[in-house]
Amino acid sequence: MQLISRGILSENPIFKLALSMCPAVGISTTVMNGLMLGIAVLFVQVFSSVTISLFKNKIHPRIRIPSYTLTIATWVTVIDLALAAYMPEAYAKMGIFVKLIVAFAIITMRLEMFACKESVKDSFWDGLGMGLGFLVGMMVIGLVRELLGSGTILGYDILGFKPLLFFILPSAGFFVVGLMMAFFNWIEIAYKRAKGLK
Amino acid sequence: MKDILTIIMRLTLSCMLAATVMGVAYLTTIKAKKHNEHVNEQKVRYALLGYSDQKPIPGSMALHSIYRYVVSDAGNQTIGYLLPGKEGFIFVTLDLEGKIVDNKEVKVEESSLAEREERDKIVRGIAGGKDVVFADQTIVVTDNGQRVAYLLDGKFTGFKTFIGVMLALDPQFSLLGLEILEHEEDPGLGAEIEQDYFKNQFKGKTFDTLKGMDVVKEPLPDKYFQALEGNIAEADAAAILNQYLEHDIYALTGATISSRSVNNGVKGIVKKFAYRLNILDAVLAEQKIAVAF
Repeated sequence: MQLISRGILSENPIFKLALSMCPAVGISTTVMNGLMLGIAVLFVQVFSSVTISLFKNKIHPRIRIPSYTLTIATWVTVIDLALAAYMPEAYAKMGIFVKLIVAFAIITMRLEMFACKESVKDSFWDGLGMGLGFLVGMMVIGLVRELLGSGTILGYDILGFKPLLFFILPSAGFFVVGLMMAFFNWIEIAYKRAKGLK
Repeated sequence: MKDILTIIMRLTLSCMLAATVMGVAYLTTIKAKKHNEHVNEQKVRYALLGYSDQKPIPGSMALHSIYRYVVSDAGNQTIGYLLPGKEGFIFVTLDLEGKIVDNKEVKVEESSLAEREERDKIVRGIAGGKDVVFADQTIVVTDNGQRVAYLLDGKFTGFKTFIGVMLALDPQFSLLGLEILEHEEDPGLGAEIEQDYFKNQFKGKTFDTLKGMDVVKEPLPDKYFQALEGNIAEADAAAILNQYLEHDIYALTGATISSRSVNNGVKGIVKKFAYRLNILDAVLAEQKIAVAF
């Protein structure tokens, strides 16, 4: 649906809206980390969007932000407990990061801009789109950083040596995000120009 | 005014709803979580001793748990050991000088000692209502009654927060193996303490080497790295590992503090354990207390 494609491409949270740069920079050191965290964020985003959309008429406008935070915190706790119980190996790798999802700007912003005004169905698709956009973004950054930093992809040794250990450090995260933003913008401009010419 | 009341009421209701959801999630998952923890602990213990699914533990081996508690009573502190005796359990209390204070028999099932809360309650009852704090758990591994290994848990400060480890020692207190149970170190840097090429450096270090061991900031020799990771044939690897047996620990690139924490933490755990065990063994022999190990 259009909402999903918007979440992944034209309004990608990391590259276009520049939200939730913190995890994009700090956690996307490998593709696996990016994937796991992306899935957790997707879950929280979808459920929070739907919950807020369901209660949108009952939330007093003055306490919007505390209500959003409360909802997000609840769902983050739920997925944290669920992962610890049912996927212990995955949880062992990214347990610390899951708890930080509460602070991600992307989820709160999405609730503020979309879920508290639109219908439940639309909120669901929007949440799914944003979550998928975040997931795709994290995996792409993770791919670049893992390949150039450790020479591996998903743990499989591709290059056999470590080109630049620098890419694993957080500062490289900023570099990669910035470069990817430029790259995505360039593609979009080229695409629009091609479309305009036609 | 009415607004404030509405806000308060709605917030309270939302909090209660959120708490219910979280509570339900907790209750549904707590059993699975505890089960996972136990299975993991068991796997780590067997792995440290050299056994796994492919090579199961022999029937002649038994694991005996010793639980150490610190008993406080109006500023007076004593150490209490909950040990398995020949039949049933014994609670031996020693003072800080290493002299025996008390020795009680405890009628309790081994299964009720598995969970920490139940065990704390039992020990509090034995100590006569005094303040008890659980210190640590040691597992003595015996084969046909003879001691073959000790398994210790330990937690110490790392670069970020804590690093939890499990060690295996042989009866002369040489390190048989080291396993990192939990940590919050940086992925790619401090988290490399989980890798074989760091952990296995500790394997085989004797008690004397351990006492003066330090961390050295030099690049890990390639041959040593291959031997630690298990990439070379066993016989050759054993020769290389022997060559480095008395060498200090090579630090991790970009994670000197984490390497030092693990080194000092392991040293501390082993030294303290050796000291305490010698005192305990002396008391048990002197008082002729019969124990299962």
